[in-house]
Amino acid sequence: MKFRAVGEAFVIVALACLPAIGEGFYFRDKVSWQSPIPESELVTIDQARAWGSSAIWVDARPDDEFAADHVPGAFSLNEDRWNELLQQFLPNWSPDKKVVVYCSAQSCNAARDVAKRLRDEAQLKDVFVLKGGWEEWVKKNR
Amino acid sequence: MKFVWRILGLSVGGIFVYAGAVKVLDPAQFGLDIDNYKILPWFVSVRLAFYLPWLEILCGLALILGFLYRGGLSILTVLVLVFIGATIAAKARGLDITCGCFGHASQHWSFTQHMTIDLGIFLALVALLWIELVRGARNDQKN
Repeated sequence: MKFRAVGEAFVIVALACLPAIGEGFYFRDKVSWQSPIPESELVTIDQARAWGSSAIWVDARPDDEFAADHVPGAFSLNEDRWNELLQQFLPNWSPDKKVVVYCSAQSCNAARDVAKRLRDEAQLKDVFVLKGGWEEWVKKNR
Repeated sequence: MKFVWRILGLSVGGIFVYAGAVKVLDPAQFGLDIDNYKILPWFVSVRLAFYLPWLEILCGLALILGFLYRGGLSILTVLVLVFIGATIAAKARGLDITCGCFGHASQHWSFTQHMTIDLGIFLALVALLWIELVRGARNDQKN
């Protein structure tokens, strides 16, 4: 049974490549192949600073990390208290603002996820993720 | 008894066909779900996001149709075992992840819910593998 199972497994593994390659070709322009966040949605600290008052900073980290320290003027908006914090954030946003979302570099999925929700659920345009996250901010400001 | 095992095989096969189909529809999100485990680099995660759902679908169909059955069963057993290990490792590292197993349907499952369902599926696969081993041994004896 062992060898038959191995042979059959090999056939299935090989067969699965075909539709996978086809689907990859179909989605080739819709997926970011090099990084989880497309380059067009990333912004460096210098770029965000150059936006001046038109940048609105969003801290996607948990409450305790935000309370300990955060970018001056940043709004806390994490997925733990999404509805509550979103209601506090939205009155401060306007269409001319560029939203810069950050989190700690270690858990930077939070910034990506918050940015995605702001685009999809709150229908905001010009939402960016800070390259390097909070750690990069600390490095550049110390 | 043979009927019971057949129903089990069809059910497990159906689960994986469904799970694979849901992920085929949104490979970018599945890539992010794989990336969340922080085990593989992104360029591997995103390519696996395109490949694994189709592997699941074909293995599920193998269980349903009884064609390439043992191969499909073996692959699914290994996949689920690897997935359980990765989930436990992520939990141990304090990562708060969504499984991505069934797309949006499993987005808000707790760790306990994940593990319960995963272990249930794993046990079903092991049981089906065991039956195949026994059948194989009996056929070998007859021959």
